[in-house]
Order: sequence, then structure tokens, then C-alpha cells
Amino acid sequence: MNTTITRRVEYLPRSRRRLVVAVALAGYPAAVAVLAGLKHTSLNRGLILALFLLVLLLTVAALAVGYRYARGRIDGRGARLDERDLALRQQAYALSHRVLAAILIAATAATVIYLTSGNTLRLDANNVLPATIWVIVYIPALPSLMLAWIETDQPADA
Amino acid sequence: MPDYQRQVHNRLAVLRAERGLSRKQLAEKLGINYQTIGYIERGDYNPSLELALTIADLFRLPVEAIFSLNPMTPLSEEIFGEPPAETR
Repeated sequence: MNTTITRRVEYLPRSRRRLVVAVALAGYPAAVAVLAGLKHTSLNRGLILALFLLVLLLTVAALAVGYRYARGRIDGRGARLDERDLALRQQAYALSHRVLAAILIAATAATVIYLTSGNTLRLDANNVLPATIWVIVYIPALPSLMLAWIETDQPADA
Repeated sequence: MPDYQRQVHNRLAVLRAERGLSRKQLAEKLGINYQTIGYIERGDYNPSLELALTIADLFRLPVEAIFSLNPMTPLSEEIFGEPPAETR
């Protein structure tokens, strides 16, 4: 059962893998946005929570697939890495750095634009906690997700 | 394969089939993962010089008989010349 799931994930076509990576990356910010956007509406609290948990569950599932696909090739644990794996890991780390830089620059620019438009930003648990969770979850996961993003489809067994 | 790399063509699949080796068996002999053999055969991964020389040594062939920067012609054609037009 476990081997079947691993093999299915291992042979996921790149288009599907990229969809999984996109869901993993956008899922948590989307869940937080859903919660923040809907909590001041008259919508039923239970429905908002259910929606939040659904998006969160999809994110966790997508992250798990990303990790499973990387098969320990990022941290080198549980996998014997050959030269292709090592080259791929380097590419994944390089792409992670570029993605992280783009996200940080975009977030900084958005904050600056928001603040220079006469708004104020209050730092409290409501906005620091989601950012902290994002850092804790995504920074370690990013190289595995990028590996799943860049690797070409596995050749069929022969 | 990164965009800046040229594709290296190879005869690995033919040689492997000729010797009756599966990807897993060849990978075990070379000390690499079996998927890497598939990627090399498909031209999606260019092996390092060390790996290319190890492969050449394993098949007891010169490295240029297995790897080339130009598309490879069938071995029979190289040995016996071009086939007649009707068989092409």
C-alpha cells in the first residue's frame, strides 16, 4: 500500500506535480485570506471554519505529496544520492532561493506601498502568527517543492 | 537538463539491450540510481565525465562510441556503411 502510493507519486507527470506545487504554495495564504476576508461577514462561523480547514487540508496534502516526491533527496536522508540527484538538488536550492527572494521582495514592496498610502500596520498575533507559520512551513519545504517542479517525467521502466 | 547545456547523444539503450541488462542491473554495476540510466538514455541528463568513462569502461568501448555531441548513427551503419536506399 505504502509502496504503491510512493510509486504513484514518483511517476506523477510534471504537469500534475506542478499543480500540486502550486496548491502547496498558494494554499496556506489562500486559507488565511479566506479566514481574514470572511470573518467580518455575516457568514456562519462553522462554514467559514469548514472552508478554512478544507483549504488547509488541501495544502497539507499537497505538501505531503511534494515531500514524498522528493524522497529524501533534499536532505539526503533515506536516499542514496547519485550525481544526477545532487545536480537536481543544487538546481532545486537555486530555484528556491529565487522564489523566496521574489516572495520577500513582493511582500516588502506591498508593505511599503500600503504604508506610504497613509495606512498603518499594527503588529499583533493576528498577523505575525500566519507569517511565522508560513516561514516555519514553507522555508524547509521550498526545496522539495522546487525539485518536484523542475524534474522531468520519469522514464518508463525497462 | 539546464538550458545552458548541450544535449549529449548516446547509445546506452542499444548497448544495454545488447548485453541483456535491465536499467536496474546496469545502475547497480555503476553505483547510481536506476532512474538516472533512463534519464541518460532519453537525453534528459548528461552524465559527468567520470560516469561516462565508467560506462565506457564497463562496456569495454571507447567513450566516443557511446556518447557524442552529434546525433548517433546506428552501429551497423558505422561498421558496414550506409544501408541501401530501399531499406532506409
